[in-house]
Amino acid sequence: MKRVMLAVIGLAALLVPAHSRAQQPIKVGYPMILSGPGALFGEPALKGAQMYVEEINGKGGVLGRKLELITRDTKGNADEAVRVSRELILKDNVDFLVGTLTSAEGPAVSTIAKENKIVFIAPIPKTDQLTAPANLHPYVFRTASNTTIEGRTAAEIVAKWPVKKIATIAPDYAYGQDVAKAFVEHIKKLKPEVEIVDQQWPKLGEADYTPFINAQMGKKPEAVFSALWGGHFLTFAKQAKPLKYFDSINYNFIAGGEGASIESTRAMGADYPVGIWGNAYDAFNWDGAPPAHKDYIARISAYTKQDPPSSWPVTGYVGMQMLVEAIKKANSVDSEKVAKALLDLTIDTPIGKQTMSGKDHQANRGQVWGKTVIDPKYPFAIMKDILYIDPTPFMN
Amino acid sequence: MFEFSFLFGQFLGGITAAMFLFLIASGLSLIFGVLRVLNFAHGSFYMIGAYLAWQFVHLIAPAPEGFWLAALAAAVSIALLGAIVERALLRHLYSREELYQLLFTYALVLILGDMAKIVWGTQQLSVSRPPSLAGSSEVFGVTIPHYNLFIMGLGPSIAVGAWYVLQHTPLGRIVRAAALDRETLGALGANVGWVYTGMFMAGSFLAGLGGALVTPIKSIVPGMDVEIIVEAFIVVVIGGLGSFWGTFLGALIYGQVLSFGILIFPRFSIFAVSVLMAAILIIRPWGLFGRPLK
Repeated sequence: MKRVMLAVIGLAALLVPAHSRAQQPIKVGYPMILSGPGALFGEPALKGAQMYVEEINGKGGVLGRKLELITRDTKGNADEAVRVSRELILKDNVDFLVGTLTSAEGPAVSTIAKENKIVFIAPIPKTDQLTAPANLHPYVFRTASNTTIEGRTAAEIVAKWPVKKIATIAPDYAYGQDVAKAFVEHIKKLKPEVEIVDQQWPKLGEADYTPFINAQMGKKPEAVFSALWGGHFLTFAKQAKPLKYFDSINYNFIAGGEGASIESTRAMGADYPVGIWGNAYDAFNWDGAPPAHKDYIARISAYTKQDPPSSWPVTGYVGMQMLVEAIKKANSVDSEKVAKALLDLTIDTPIGKQTMSGKDHQANRGQVWGKTVIDPKYPFAIMKDILYIDPTPFMN
Repeated sequence: MFEFSFLFGQFLGGITAAMFLFLIASGLSLIFGVLRVLNFAHGSFYMIGAYLAWQFVHLIAPAPEGFWLAALAAAVSIALLGAIVERALLRHLYSREELYQLLFTYALVLILGDMAKIVWGTQQLSVSRPPSLAGSSEVFGVTIPHYNLFIMGLGPSIAVGAWYVLQHTPLGRIVRAAALDRETLGALGANVGWVYTGMFMAGSFLAGLGGALVTPIKSIVPGMDVEIIVEAFIVVVIGGLGSFWGTFLGALIYGQVLSFGILIFPRFSIFAVSVLMAAILIIRPWGLFGRPLK
């Protein structure tokens, strides 16, 4: 009886192969930091991707197939990111990779994508090295901003301030070094009379910034560019504020590394050094945003049950959107064809039009910048007069 | 070349950092000195102490000085957690090889880390300085936050207090005896089991207190457990495992080397400390004040 049943099932399978294969979902591997300090951003970045996938599947999917997101925890470790990415490709048979967060993970997973000839879209890692000519290959793409764009954009803003003596503070690893270098080079070009009086390089995850803060104040800068991100910026600011660090530079401080993101201002509340400048991937109160943004904010707020919502989901959302639009354009899930479709692809995202450069596989992704102020409507600081600087002129 | 006020500022910064490290490392060292267990989970106790302090501050809010009560409650909770861990779990491993104890405390790091994530999520959390210590004063041209002054005073107070209890009280005599020879002490009628539990609780209390008191100057994030345990290990390696004053000196050296190291090697702040630790391990593997292990 059992054998007969099996034969029937086998025959049935033979009869409908085309149909059942069409019902197979398109699998996207999503390696992301979901534990440790980086999970703070990894989790909301995953939420954005998940919401996008649900929305697309609700509309019938792509090429008639559903999307399936397979998530793995990279633990913020490049070796682990490589291991789970391999597993996603070999065991879960994913068609594409979207993910990674740090500037150590991104380039590491890029080599796996190259080996396996699978399209990999990096939605968050910023190091220039990811898509530098020496490391570029046909399958790696980035929808994140990069260190050149971030450093130069900050320099554009600081160049307008009436200051000459400038200092930097950045974590001592790929991201911090690259972004500080981009900032320094660009501001010297914009304003040759600028003097870089001090550069501090605390290690990533430094617990005590006091010696660095004192040392920097000792050099008497008039303005500071910082690239301390996430909880690192919080710790730094909590220690710097009572030392009158921000007063000593008249709050001429610009925090790259998403220092003005709602995650930071909400966590610090009244302790936030209100009056400094900073950036973020997104802002719920971005008035000059493209029309689609408002609707996106309402959707993500409902999806994550957070009001105002996190600024990070948009990274995962746009990364997935770029992939799906490329699949549509290629009319195929073959990585070879999708990689070609990604070249010079322009899509409409909640943050405006994004174009994937065919030359260096980098999207023209800027960030929002603004001066932080207290608005009585919120128990935390928000960015005022949000500025989005088009990164296109600074990309090469 | 450097202004005096600047050097003084670096010095004070180093002292503040040292006193925090001492709070954490002293508990680690106390536990090792008596129980001969290297507690990897000490950093996890510190982290959960920080999370609990945040939790209690929010429960007690908006009482302005509620922070102090919250910090104490967090430290006591961690001492109780320590008691449970020691009596229910660690107790069964004393007769095993040290490797098993290490593996056990390492497993605790993973379990407690994940539990903290389940309870408090991955959001960065922050606690404000208590209003009574929110200000700062200027001394020799250096701005010193009052909260840092309080920490600078607290470290030595705890060191002297612990020294007095250990050296000049009957309780201290039992603890010292337990560290030297547990069997003989047991034969003399002392309840060694409770001495161990008590010491583990005292060490855990210090970890919890350190975690709670650090919240006004650091953000609370997952991963702070591993960060601190590495630093605490360096401190006890320099000072000598199990030596209380060694830990104090180790913390002071760590703080100053870090503070002034960045003037000499701006790109390698941690380098100077690591070199120092390596040198001590080569010349005096048992640390400055430690005793060679048999």
